[in-house]
Parts: sequence; structure tokens; C-alpha cells
Amino acid sequence: MPYFLYIASVLGAVAVWMMMPRHGYSPRKLGAVVGAMTLGAMWLYLARHHLPPSDEAGLSQPAMAYSYVFSALAIGAAIRVITHQKPVYAALWFVMVVLSTAGLLLVLNAEFMAAALVIIYGGAILVTYVFVIMLASQAGDPADAPEYDRVAREPAAAVAVGFLLLAVLLSAAFPTEPHQLLRPNPEARGPSDAFIIEQYLTDRPAQRLEELTDDPQQLRQLAAIESPGALDNAERVGFDLFHNHPLGLELAGVILLVSLVGAVVIARVRTEPPQPPEVSP
Amino acid sequence: MPDTPLHSLELSHFLLTGAVLFVIGMIGFLSRRNLIIIFLCTEMMFQGVVVTLAAFSRFHLNDTGQTFVIFVLTIAAAEAALALGLVVLLFRRRHTLDAQAWSELRG
Repeated sequence: MPYFLYIASVLGAVAVWMMMPRHGYSPRKLGAVVGAMTLGAMWLYLARHHLPPSDEAGLSQPAMAYSYVFSALAIGAAIRVITHQKPVYAALWFVMVVLSTAGLLLVLNAEFMAAALVIIYGGAILVTYVFVIMLASQAGDPADAPEYDRVAREPAAAVAVGFLLLAVLLSAAFPTEPHQLLRPNPEARGPSDAFIIEQYLTDRPAQRLEELTDDPQQLRQLAAIESPGALDNAERVGFDLFHNHPLGLELAGVILLVSLVGAVVIARVRTEPPQPPEVSP
Repeated sequence: MPDTPLHSLELSHFLLTGAVLFVIGMIGFLSRRNLIIIFLCTEMMFQGVVVTLAAFSRFHLNDTGQTFVIFVLTIAAAEAALALGLVVLLFRRRHTLDAQAWSELRG
């Protein structure tokens, strides 16, 4: 099993190295083909030999299929981010990475984090990046990018180090012996919905569906999706955040305030006020 | 929260995606020369960590993994604001985004 992953790591390293920007001819298309074939072959192999039987699986088969699609999109867009010569396009491909990651979080039942990722990353952070790219891009012929965008520095060494790290990580994530498989820790399991509602959310108002609508058919539909004894993902994450990590929450606020002040101080331009004209008596 | 945990063999697939995203971001961080792309690559490494945290959260059925994603987002936002402020400052001094324009900082 790991031998296959080691071969895939080496082929992936060759593919990424071929796609890095460089002087002269760059075999970018060949690298893309090699990379796509490596990823495809690896996933075909893993899907055949490295999935649990369907009665033990935690995710449904369509969910796993979606996870493959989103993973392929994320990895392809990520490679495009580091190989594209124009920073604006790199930022736009990064939006693709963020959206695919949000898809993966949806597959993993982390709906709130998926929405937060799209709003904060795709909305706020990427807009800041695009602003700075616009601010700092040099005027000139748009056909030729500056030299520091067209040529990567030491791509072979960086790719070798990176994929060596990847091979080590994969040898830990894909154990060979059955007894080395990770087991979910039963003591780490979070409290059940009913326990949280009973112990902590005692004055959580029970939703009165009759107040929402009079239509009996709509009422039946609402009753089918609304389960009063269950918390949804946002409620559970919020409970965990405020109940188990209040100090971290306060520290996050302090960090944001410090970075706000710091960004203003760093990016400020000092301008001298205009001198008032001297009036001779 | 769903009742059945993620199977260990399924967890490996998500760890693979997270590791690949992290490593690609690291390669870009080491080899690209544009300051803006360098910081974009650090954000990509965060994405790999986010996938890993969410996968382990689903594996152990514990919400703290998703709570840590909130902290990762906070740090990413703070880092983006500060780093881009620095990039603007450095660009004003040298009129280039080349990281090698500042190579005398190596000492």
C-alpha cells in the first residue's frame, strides 16, 4: 500500500516541477497530464482497495463521490495558484480552492464552517488580496509579466522538500497493518444533543410550529424537518465555542484588535501639513 | 451531529487532501518570488489544516475541531491584514514586489 503512495508522490513531484514557471520552454501541458493521471490513478486505487465495506462506512457512497470531486477541484486549483504567472489569476484560482474546501466541509457535516469559510475567505480576505494586487501592480505592457512572476526560485529543491514531507504524512495517514488503524476515541465524543438541551439550554424555547403557519400541509412539512430534541451544526459549534473555549474567544478578539491597529500603523503614509504662508509685517 | 463516526479508512482520504493542499502551499511559499503570492500560499496551507481539523472533528464526533477552524480563520484574517499592510509598505520603498529585493535582510 504505501509503495503505491510513494510512487504517486514522486510522479506528483515531477508533475508540479514541470508546471512551475521558468526561463525558456516550460513543459506545462505535459506536467498537467502527468499530474492528472497520477491523481486519477491514485484515487482509483484507493477507492478500490482503501474504502470500508458499505455497512461499516460512516459516509454514504454519494458523499464519498462528492469528496473526490471537491478534492480534485481543490488540488487542481491549488496547483494553478502556485504555477500561474499573473497574481490576479492566482488569487481567483485561490477562490476556487476555498469553494472546494467549503464543499469538503459540507461533506463532513460542518455546514456552519463551510458558510463561514466562503464568507470570510472568499469574501473578505480575497477582496483584500485583490485590492493589494491592483495597488501594487506595475503599469506597463500587460503582455509581459515582471521577471519575478515569470521565474520561480529553486523549484526543484522546493518540490523535493515538499513531496518528501507529503510522503511522510501519507505514510502516517495510510497505515499498512490493520492494528495501526486510527480508532475514534469514545471519551473524546462530544455530549449528546439531548444532554446539552437538558443541562444547559433549559430555557431554549421550543419552536411552536402553529405560530408559523396555518396551512396544515406546510405544518406537516415543517414538523418533518424540525426535531425539537436535536441541535443543528451551528448550535453545537456555538455551544462548544462559548462553553469550552471562552478564553480563546477573548484572545481571538484581542488578536483581531491588535492586527487592526497594526495594519493602520504600518500602511499609514506620513504627509506633512502644508505650511501657512509667512505674512511679513 | 451525525451518529456514526467517519470510518478510519475514509478519514485517510480527507487527510490526503489536507496534506496535499498544505504541501502545495509550502512549495509555493518556498519557490515563488512575488510577495503577494507568498502570502496567498500561506492561506492555502491554512486550507489544508482546515480540512484536516474538520475531518478529525467528524472522526471523533467532537465539535472542538470545528471550533478550532474558527480560530484558524481569525488568525488568517489578522495575518492577511498585517501581511498585506507590510507588502504595501515594502512596495512603496522599492517599487517592486520581488522578495529578493530585500535579500540583504538575511544579514
